[in-house]
Amino acid sequence: MKQLRRIISTGWTNFRRNSYLSFSAVAIMSIALILLLGLVGFNFLTSKTVDSLQGKVDVSIYFRLDAEEAQILSLRDEINDLSNVVSTDYISRDEALELFKARHSEDALIQESLAELDDNPLQASLSIKATEASEFPQIVSVIEDSPYASTIDSIDFFENEAVITRIQSFSNGIRSWGLAITLVLIVIAVFVTFNTIRLTIYDQRKEIEIMKLVGASDWQVRAPYIAEGSFYGLLAGLITLVLTYGILYGLSDRIAALTGDIDLFAYFSQFWLQIVLLVLVVGVTLGVASSFIAIRRHLKV
Amino acid sequence: MIEFKQVTKTYDDEDYIALNDINLEIKKGEFVSLVGPSGAGKSTLMRMLTKESLPTFGQVIVDGVDLADLDKSDIPMLRRKIGMVFQDFKLLSNKTAFENVAFALEVSGVGEEEIAEDVPQLLSIVGLADKANHFPSQMSGGERQRLAIARALIHRPKIILADEPTGNLDLVNSYDVLKLLWKINELGTTIILATHDREIVNTVGRRVITIEKGAIVRDQQGAGRYII
Repeated sequence: MKQLRRIISTGWTNFRRNSYLSFSAVAIMSIALILLLGLVGFNFLTSKTVDSLQGKVDVSIYFRLDAEEAQILSLRDEINDLSNVVSTDYISRDEALELFKARHSEDALIQESLAELDDNPLQASLSIKATEASEFPQIVSVIEDSPYASTIDSIDFFENEAVITRIQSFSNGIRSWGLAITLVLIVIAVFVTFNTIRLTIYDQRKEIEIMKLVGASDWQVRAPYIAEGSFYGLLAGLITLVLTYGILYGLSDRIAALTGDIDLFAYFSQFWLQIVLLVLVVGVTLGVASSFIAIRRHLKV
Repeated sequence: MIEFKQVTKTYDDEDYIALNDINLEIKKGEFVSLVGPSGAGKSTLMRMLTKESLPTFGQVIVDGVDLADLDKSDIPMLRRKIGMVFQDFKLLSNKTAFENVAFALEVSGVGEEEIAEDVPQLLSIVGLADKANHFPSQMSGGERQRLAIARALIHRPKIILADEPTGNLDLVNSYDVLKLLWKINELGTTIILATHDREIVNTVGRRVITIEKGAIVRDQQGAGRYII
């Protein structure tokens, strides 16, 4: 306990007295951590965008006019049972007509034409949403093999296929490139941070040698530097959090306007605990690990 | 107290011989001046006593312990038994005078209260009572060396190694440092003083060991003088 207090207070004193080096280490680490949070936000934005694109893709089945509703509903139940189907939306012929009338309520000509008809000309339809756009070919093939396939007039998947494929490759691209860029940037940030801390310790190699000559054990030399490293991480983490939340709060409206109503600030607020922990844990780990590795080579006296 | 038995030290695959077959015994409470030109091997000899340097052949025995048998983890314990004073002071630049001395105690796990009591006492012995909160950069050369001596003394070590302690000091300050070492020696501490300063050696006038080219060429047991 006495040792721990001494280590922390020595670490803190060093941190204050090496203010120039501490400042640069904290600044570099803050940049690294802001980058990290930026990437968390970027991943959220891309996955939201991809989700909303995917959500817009559905496949509709149009049934023959003479198809029995009971058969359609059986087919619907069969489709609903598929694990890769999120939801189905059945619109009966009557509902379709109502919707059509409502949509064209201003258009007198259409209203009159409809009144002329004896029979409802609209088809019943079933629109299907899948977990992923890539699941549609499989879903469609199940439908085509179904005993109720004879009730089907057309499936618009074949018209949507090109669009679906493009969205798929686009979203895969965003995801894998986003991940690759994320990793590269994080690796760079870690290297820069590590090197900054290494420089601050290199600057004190003489002191380390002296401590060893005065009879300090490796751990007695190392511990205050590790404490100092954790202070870098802690302070950089706090700066990062304040800046990130401040900027997101200030720019929330503009981000939403830019991204089509994705509320980044709400996302960061919802997961505040995870984000605070992530930043502080990564920051402190980075500081401690860098100090630990950097000091090793100077202890051989 | 200290014994060198057939100690040889070579560097770079035996191309350079720093010490050649040194046999030497230093008894408890002696004040020994180690003299010789730069590069004669004085520092190498001293560095072996703290296991900063290892002999290529032979044995170094300190306080009955063969240093070759000393585990790496026990080196800090050895160094706490030996006080060291260097030409370039080797003070911790980002610590105050008080903290520099206190650090030597902290590494031995001494408590805050004892530190608060012992350090000011020692600082006043070396005449630095009013400089406790100064950093080394704010002190003169003589003050820094006296601070280094205070740090070397704080453990009440059995041996003090002073490697050219007056090398960076003027005559007055050199004499102050010497007086301090004398005083310490009178209290029973073995002192080994390496120097190439004729004035200093002749002033001390105790046992003088002369080293040249890695070998002992002369060992004057009492009232020795610097003769080269």
